[in-house]
Amino acid sequence: MIDLPVAWANYISMGIFIFLGCLVWIVPKKAIFAGQPETDRWRDLRIWAMILIGLQLTIYWIFS
Amino acid sequence: MHPLDLAVIIGYLALITFVGIKLSSKVKNAHDFFLAGRSLTWWVIGLSIIGTNIDTNSYVGASGNAYNVGIAQANFEWIGAIPAMIIASLIFIPLYWRAGVYSIPEYLGLRYNQAVRVVAALIASIFAVFALGVAMWALALTLETYLGWPIWVGILVSGTVVGLYSIAGGLAAVAITDSIQVSIMFLCGIIIVGIGISDAGGFSAFATTLTQDNPTHLQAYLPADDSSFPWPGVILGLGFVLSPAYWIGSQAILQRTLGARTQWDASASMMFAALAKTFIPLLVVFPGILALVMKADIEYPDMALPWVIKNVLPPGISGLMFVAIIAALQSSIDSGVNSTSLMITRDIRHVLMKNHEPLNDLKVGRYLTLILLMSSMCIAPFIGDLGGIFTFLQTILSLFQGPMLALLLLGAMTQRATPMAGLWTLVSGVLVSAILLILLEWNLLYVAFVSFCYSLIALWTVSGFTEKLSSEKLVTLTYRPWSRT
Repeated sequence: MIDLPVAWANYISMGIFIFLGCLVWIVPKKAIFAGQPETDRWRDLRIWAMILIGLQLTIYWIFS
Repeated sequence: MHPLDLAVIIGYLALITFVGIKLSSKVKNAHDFFLAGRSLTWWVIGLSIIGTNIDTNSYVGASGNAYNVGIAQANFEWIGAIPAMIIASLIFIPLYWRAGVYSIPEYLGLRYNQAVRVVAALIASIFAVFALGVAMWALALTLETYLGWPIWVGILVSGTVVGLYSIAGGLAAVAITDSIQVSIMFLCGIIIVGIGISDAGGFSAFATTLTQDNPTHLQAYLPADDSSFPWPGVILGLGFVLSPAYWIGSQAILQRTLGARTQWDASASMMFAALAKTFIPLLVVFPGILALVMKADIEYPDMALPWVIKNVLPPGISGLMFVAIIAALQSSIDSGVNSTSLMITRDIRHVLMKNHEPLNDLKVGRYLTLILLMSSMCIAPFIGDLGGIFTFLQTILSLFQGPMLALLLLGAMTQRATPMAGLWTLVSGVLVSAILLILLEWNLLYVAFVSFCYSLIALWTVSGFTEKLSSEKLVTLTYRPWSRT
């Protein structure tokens, strides 16, 4: 692993974020809304997480 | 100093003190003082989390590091924070909030035993007193550099201002003043980026000038043989252990989420903080890179930020930037005194003093806040001489990170971890860390990762032979969202 080029660090980071992006959707909707009205789509924190992960993927792609 | 800058600084100090004292009328008991009566909304908590997270080291030190290594410094805000913050938001914060605890040591006490609770609170409290002294000293030094105030005057003024609102208003005052402070920080960050890129002739010209002499300064990672931030160490040690240990185990950070008005607000606050955290490099990394692009004539890297404030920003805005640095320091100090006061009041006093009176918690908490503040003010002038002790304590604290994360992770995610296994893992995990760090002199990032792996295996194995908590207790202390749906 140590001998891998530095660019691989970016690929690994992006892989971690993609993996996390998949895991987020395992969390049930009910646990996310926690008593709040489920019709308020903006309250779905899984979507917030997707936006964050998208930003991180862009950052590590630009600075690779 | 320009009169406009001075007016901005005085205006800021008056506003913060006024807001803090105004909130004091809402504090009726310890629940109000330590958890803001569970009344905080997600965006106030989110900004407060960032205010607590950014300290002097973030501002001056990170700018200096960025001057040396470039954008790689931003990993502390990206891979070294965001994944852990997302996990904290979706898994750990709902768990802590539902358990109804005041602190992370209290959760550990419920999940494992009271010995683990006291050890966790004691280590964090002792370290916090010295960390507060360092922050107070840094604040006084900043005031001396920019305003020419003697160190003792700086300590007295900043200690009094922080004391007035944090003793009177408790967590609510701390969180709301933090959110004002962070808004000022972001405003200044945006102005610096705008002026900096404009002066450099646009972003392309900025990037070209930077990479001409420093070809790796726009690369997110440094080579594996780099002595300070080797990329495998950054991903494994920082990303997998140190960052999660901080974001799911730091009392100062998580206390404000426990003061949220609903469980959703608590979770959303951390997600919002993560969004803000993504842009923190604009505040703490960009000034260092800007100083390099503008070929700043500085003696050492940590002078990058002061150089940018003095030479790039116009009057009024430089005063605002100076306010942002004071704000960063104040928000760390106020959060530190409030959370340490809570841990001593409840996690240490309640366990060790069997005949304590819970109704006295508010009075005790306020006195402790005052004592902690005064202790840090007394230590601050001697922090240079105590530097060795602080480094030693920092090392001791880092020994706990891997084992503590393993305890929180297996404790929250499985029903297997047992109280006895938790205690033995904590003790043996710290020993393993000490051997790797002190005797074998490994890099701290690798020590964190190996001690975490050891602790996971030890906790899992020993739990197989020891008695676990009853199923009724485990229901509220472990993450089981699927069983509730």
